[in-house]
Formats: sequence, C-alpha cells, structure tokens
Amino acid sequence: MEMKEMKLLSEWSYEPAKIQRGYANETLYVGLGNKDGNYKFEKRPVSEDMKENFTGGRGFGLKLLWDAVKEGTKWDDPENELVIAGGPFCGITQYPGTGKSYTVFLSPATKQTYNSNAGGYFGPFLKFSGFDALEVQGKADRPVVVFIDGDNFKVQIFESTLEDNNAYYISEELHDYFAKDEQDKRTISVISTGMAAKTSYIVGLNFSFYDVRRKAVRLKQAGRGGGGTVLCDKNIAAIVVKRTKFTGIENDPVDVETIMKAGASLHKRIHDHDNEQCQMRAAGTAHLTEIMDDYELLPVHNYKYGSHKDIGNISSHEYIKLFSQGTADGCWYGCSLACAKAVDHFPLQTGPWKGKEVVVDGPEYETAAGLGSNVGIFDPHWTIEANFYADHYGLDTISLGTTMAWVCECYELGLINKENTHGLEMTFGNKKDLMELIHRIANAADDFAVATGWGIEAAREYYSKNYGADLEVMKKIGMVCQGLEASEYRCQESMAQWGGYFLTLKGPQHDEAWLIFMDMVNKQLPTYEDKAEALYFFPCFRLWFSLHGLCKLPWNDIEPVDNSIKYKGIEAARVPEHLNNYLNIYTAITGKPLDRDGMILQSEKVYNFERIFNLRMGKGTSKFHEAPDRGLGPVWEDEWMARPDYFDTKLKEFGEEIEGKSVKEKITLLQKHRRAQWEQLKAAVYKRRGWNKNGIPTLKTVKRLGIDYPEVVALLEKHLKPEDEFEEE
Amino acid sequence: MKVLQLRTEKCVQCGECMSACSKAWFKEDNPALSRIKIENKATYPNINVCNQCGACIEICPTKALERDANGIVQVRKDKCTSCLMCVGFCPSASMFFNAAKQTEPFKCISCGICAKACPTGALELLTTPESK
Amino acid sequence: MITVNGNQSEWEEGLTVKQLLARENYTFRMLSVWINDRPVEKKDFPTHLIPDRANVQVIHNISGG
Repeated sequence: MEMKEMKLLSEWSYEPAKIQRGYANETLYVGLGNKDGNYKFEKRPVSEDMKENFTGGRGFGLKLLWDAVKEGTKWDDPENELVIAGGPFCGITQYPGTGKSYTVFLSPATKQTYNSNAGGYFGPFLKFSGFDALEVQGKADRPVVVFIDGDNFKVQIFESTLEDNNAYYISEELHDYFAKDEQDKRTISVISTGMAAKTSYIVGLNFSFYDVRRKAVRLKQAGRGGGGTVLCDKNIAAIVVKRTKFTGIENDPVDVETIMKAGASLHKRIHDHDNEQCQMRAAGTAHLTEIMDDYELLPVHNYKYGSHKDIGNISSHEYIKLFSQGTADGCWYGCSLACAKAVDHFPLQTGPWKGKEVVVDGPEYETAAGLGSNVGIFDPHWTIEANFYADHYGLDTISLGTTMAWVCECYELGLINKENTHGLEMTFGNKKDLMELIHRIANAADDFAVATGWGIEAAREYYSKNYGADLEVMKKIGMVCQGLEASEYRCQESMAQWGGYFLTLKGPQHDEAWLIFMDMVNKQLPTYEDKAEALYFFPCFRLWFSLHGLCKLPWNDIEPVDNSIKYKGIEAARVPEHLNNYLNIYTAITGKPLDRDGMILQSEKVYNFERIFNLRMGKGTSKFHEAPDRGLGPVWEDEWMARPDYFDTKLKEFGEEIEGKSVKEKITLLQKHRRAQWEQLKAAVYKRRGWNKNGIPTLKTVKRLGIDYPEVVALLEKHLKPEDEFEEE
Repeated sequence: MKVLQLRTEKCVQCGECMSACSKAWFKEDNPALSRIKIENKATYPNINVCNQCGACIEICPTKALERDANGIVQVRKDKCTSCLMCVGFCPSASMFFNAAKQTEPFKCISCGICAKACPTGALELLTTPESK
Repeated sequence: MITVNGNQSEWEEGLTVKQLLARENYTFRMLSVWINDRPVEKKDFPTHLIPDRANVQVIHNISGG
C-alpha cells in the first residue's frame, strides 16, 4: 500500500437497523455540503407507501432522487444525488445473481434521470450495514473518501490521500487501507471512477470486490449515463463499505428452505447444462460475438454492416483461450453462472501502466463488439487493453465504442480531418490511433479529445461549430438517442428492436427490451399490436429485476432442458420455471404472495414514475424518442450493396418497383417507408403503455397504478393536452 | 487419507449408518440429517457418500472448502456463506443441506461412526495412499 | 412448399430438420423446432423428416443483452 494515512473530517455513529423480511427499512443520507465542509448524516425511514409503490433498488433510487431535486436542477448542481440501492432479494447467497444494485442520478449525458446497474458486493454490504439505500448529495470542499463501516456502525468522511485518481489504483489501495489483513479484504467494496470523469460525460462507476484466489481487486461497472462524472463533480474519490459478518439468513427470509432448494437445483442445472447452452462459465457474455455475426447483428463500422470475414478472431473460442478457466468468477456469492471472466497477467502495451501485467475484467460482449468490430478492430488483445484502460479511466465501454465508431465514419467521410483531430487518423481499424484517442480523452489532452468525450450528441454540435462538419449527416449516422449512445446490436432489421432502443425510458440501452430474434428471426411479433405488446411487457418484466437486486442472466441465460418443448412461442421466452422461482423466492423472503400480474404491476408503477420524472426534468415526450437513419436501415450505397438482394426484397415488400432505380434512390425510398412504420410503431406502443400521443402517461394510467401523488398529477395536468389523447375504443 | 470404502452388495438397507451419523452430528435420528444416504433402487441399494475427491474445492468463492491435515475435505463454517454452489457441483451429489438445522451444507468427514454401526461390513474406513 | 417462420420455402422428399436448419443458415445452438404445432426433440434433428406443406417454426431461444 502506498497511500498515506487519511485525515478524518467527519464521523457519525448509528444504531443499525435489523433487516426484516428483505428490508432494513432505513436509508442513509450523506450530505457533503456545498464546498464548505458542512457534512451531514441522517438515517431516514422507509415508509410502507415507498415499499408498496417503489419496491426497492431502482424504484427507491428514483423516489429518493425525486424528493432531492427540483424541476430546474442540473446534473452538476449540488442538489443532484447519487442514490445506490439493492432491493429485497439483494444479499441472499443461495440463488445465482442476487448481488446487484442500481445507481440513480441526473445524467450529464442525457440531461434527465439515469439508472445504471452494477454487480457485486456493494449492494449486499450496504444492506447488511443497515441501509436499503444510500443517498449522497452536495459537493465536498476537497477530494473525500466516504466510508460506511458496517462492522462498527459508523460513517466517516476522510480527506483523500490517493495519488492516482484511476479505478484499479484506487480500489487496490482502499481494499488494503481498510482491511486488517489479506483475509479481510473480501469484506470491502469500493465505488470509484477514473480521471476521464473530469471532462467526459461517458464515464461510469466501478464497483469492486476482492478475488481471494487471484489476490486482486475485480471491478464491475455501473457503466452508463455518466455516474462517474457526477461522482467526480461531487469531489468524491471513492465510496467504501465494509461488512465482515453475515449469515445465510442475514436477509431474514420467512422460509429459507424454499430459497435453498431453488438455489441448489439451479446450481445443478448450471453445472450440468451451461456448457451446451450459453457457456457463461467459460466465455461470459462474450459467447455472443459469432452468433451476432451469423445473423447480421454484429455492429461493424458504426453499425453499417452486420458481419465481417474476421469474426473468427473475436469469437467465443478465442476469448475462452484468453480467459482464465475454472476459477470462481461469480460477482456475488452464490452465482454459479460466474460470467465475470478475466484475463490474467496481461501485459499492457500503452499508457501510464505500460509494461505492467494486470488482471483485466472482461471483455463482455458489449466491449468485444463496441471496442472491436464496431471500430473495425478484430484483435482481442487490442480489445482487452482498451477494456482495461476504459475501466481504469472510468470510461463506459459501450458509449466509448459507439462514439469512436461514429468518429471513424465522420473522419472517413471527410467531415472532420487530421488537423481537427490533432494528428490522429481516425480510420476504422486504426489500432494505434484509436488507442491513443482513449488516452487523450481520459487526459483531456486537447479540444477534440474533450469534445469527443462528451459523447455523440454534444460532440457533433462542437464538430459542426468548430470544424464545419455537416450536422445533418452526423445526425443520420450517429447511433444515439436521448443523449445516450446505442449499445452493441444492429437493430436496423427488427422493427421491434427500433422500439427496444428508441422508445425506452433512459436511452438505447438494451436492458428494457431485447426483441431482435423474437421479431426478426422467429417472426413471433407479426403485427404492430404484437410488437407493442412485447414493448409493453418485456420492459416491465425486465425492470422487475432492477427493483430487487437481481441479475437477469440466471433467468434466461440458462434454461431447463425441456423449456422450449414444454412451452410454446413467447411463453417459452419467459422461461416459466425460472420465473416461478423468482415468485416463490419473493414470497419466501417477504412472506407476501406474488403472481405474474403482481410482478408486472410492481414494475409498471416504477416504469411510469420514471417516465414522469423525465417529463419533470424537461424531457420525457415524443420528440425525444427519435430514431436516427442508421438505426432504421442503410444510409450509404456501400451498406445497400453489402446485401443487395436482401434490401431489394425489403423494398419490394412495400410495393415499390426496383427496376431502373439507382441505389441512392432505393435507400431514400426504404428510409421513407421505414420512417412511416416507425411513426406507427411509436403510436401503437404509446397507446399500449397507457400514454397519450405525446408519450406522456395519462391520468387514468397513474390512477390505476396508484402513483397519482399530488405533485405527479399537477405535473401531468400541465402537460397533457386533449388533442394528444388516443380515441377510446 | 481415510476414506469410506463401500461394499454395496453387503448393504441390507437397515439405516443404522444414517441413524448413527445424524445422531452424532446433529443430535437427531433423521436420515435427512445424515452425511451418508442409502437410497433404495429397484434391485439394489445406492450408497451416496463423499469420496473426498475435492472437486468442490475450486467451486467455493471464499475457499471455505479445504483439505485438513488428514486430507479430508472440510466445510469451514467461519468462511462459508451458505451459497450451496458445492451442492450443485459435486460430481456424486454427496454434499447435503437441511434448512431446519443450519444454512451451511454438510458432508462426510471420514469419522467412521457409520462403519462401526454397520452390522454387515458394507462400510469400512480404510487408509488410501495420498493422491497428488 | 413448406412455411418456415412465416415464409414460403422449398421442400423436397427426405428433407430433415437438420438439413433445413443448415439451408436457412440457422446456426444458433439453442433452437427449438416445432412442426405443425408439435415440438421436435433436439436429438431427433438429424433424422426427423419434415412433411410437405408443413408449418415449421424455428425458435431461437436467445436471451441477449
């Protein structure tokens, strides 16, 4: 350990809450003052109404943030908060995927709320320390470390003596600082970001845990939305939690036997069948690369193409060779899906730690594609190094990959040049210069690097004003919506996935709906109503996990062997046996019954509340749900000519004659027809969700959901217009 | 290392071994609490008990499973988080659990009490050569 | 002719499920195949014959994201 002893600035002792049936029933508020050293600590009660309408996790985060901010609050005002919460399942050890927590905040990138999920130990340890959520508000007057000591029931604020402000350094040092000895390091979790947070908006949070076999810290990410930028803005170097003792019934379940049986049986299923299903234990989510390539869904060259001849270099076989096998890689106790793969003893070739051998967390699929095929690089070693530095600097690998892919296309189209980029040749596949750009963004090396680090929406404004780059062209090819870059799937050919990306609450992050196969391949959603139903149901279904501290991977990245024989169609996609596990475990924890309708209701309340919160922040209406041209189909001739028969057929399906038309004309026609479909999809989805034509939840909907608080109704009455109502049927 | 040797053809399914084990380790005469399980297959009994293979050791996220000085795989309760992954991953399904008594799983530790109780010599605790 | 996921597709005598999947380039591991509303077990893909005019559904059970 290198860091010097830290000076204690403020300290607060508390009576720890006793966890009852999955809840501590208290939350922790830490106020940092407004650069004046005015630290404040409070325990706040969790009301029955809060549990009824918000359940936990992301729901608690949204509720507490709503109370903390006002309509005009900006992400860099002291009133903005980082709220971290797990949920009723969070911290159980017997069932896979129960260590997750959500971080909710006003986002620098999206200018509305964002909620970002991370795996790992922080959520459970926070709860065992006595808190269902942590709110941090204000700005410290110097870099601080916030320490939640769940062993001695104290919260302490230290003046940071950390000399390097990047994640692996911070996490290793703080695990060392707060642990009694090597054995004790696993009782700690550290939230940190990296130096990119000073100027970039595409910066997330790292959540650490200690790997007892590797004797090293591992990092999971709440990567998206700029949570790291907010952490840095608050002058927080790190948030640390420590909790040593906990039992198999720490979460105080009514019926631990049900949980134990469900857990043991799923462990056995994973042991027996993971290898022939998704190979999560061997390859993690990187098992997806060649599958996406086979179905033209792999993003290649800024989503222009869906496959590439060099896919073999970045296939799951290649990554399995690079990931260390056979070690316990779960991100919380009890996860036998163990998808948190790592590359060991990786020698860094560039940057401040050049020559050092490190543990690299990942890559996950998103990173393998985003910092890979999307930027035209098919070299896993390059991707692994990019992954490492992205995590270390705090950069979100998805936004970074998608932004850099867009930059490459802008450069190759001549919209920006080598002078603008300060000497970097931003061509697809240029490994050296793309890696250099990552370092320059982190270091805020020049105006181009800083602007690029803001993400696509802000960068294109800068490029347009300062380099004369054509803004309309940059908008057509930028895979971004609501200020958030799209994640790494090509949605062009699946209308349902246009909705899965561009009709979401927080932006094109795939955690709401991932419908590509169901729609495009299985053809299970033929009508607008079918698509709308799926875009109502699956976002609600997936949101449920975020209320409870659950990872969704053990739900459907492993299936009972007879799942698709026993169940037909979309019912099979729900993996009913695992869905029932969650309902049963919910009851086993809380003592309350829950069926599928109840599950959807818990989610639908929070889904609509989040939509209304975004309306409150000046967003949350139809005009922000816009799809870029690249998201709906080809923009340039080379994209059409990569699959000419396929696209000709698609155009003919609209009744168009293709004889005698140039490729450029055909592209324009296809875009026109698809945009008309997009408008119809949007209307069908809004209607199904109980929103008006402007995408605003109706009074009828909020009353039905029991979230018709006076503030909510007042806000809606301001924005709901009679001409935007759908006709009653 | 001492490991239970099984002579299945001598087993008469009297249940004395399960009785002796559960009484010794859980103070209750209950086959569900035994670390050796005799299952009745149609034409023969199946004796399910840990053979100290150690496949579970690398599965445990806290290294709570380790060989003691005699080579026997032990569950260290002070490190165990009750995740039960070892239960699902045991090649012979010989790691057991019972919610009524504790959340940590349990297994045979080659104490030999069942072998002493067995009336037919179907169980014997023998010293095997240490495997590398 | 047969229908595969709603699209018309060629049929010939002796067409097995495995052959059909190769022809359609359905390479994904976790597929389930239903013919005329009846499931076909994976172990039978190489030998199970598809009848003429069959309605074939090839469901990719992909979890994604």
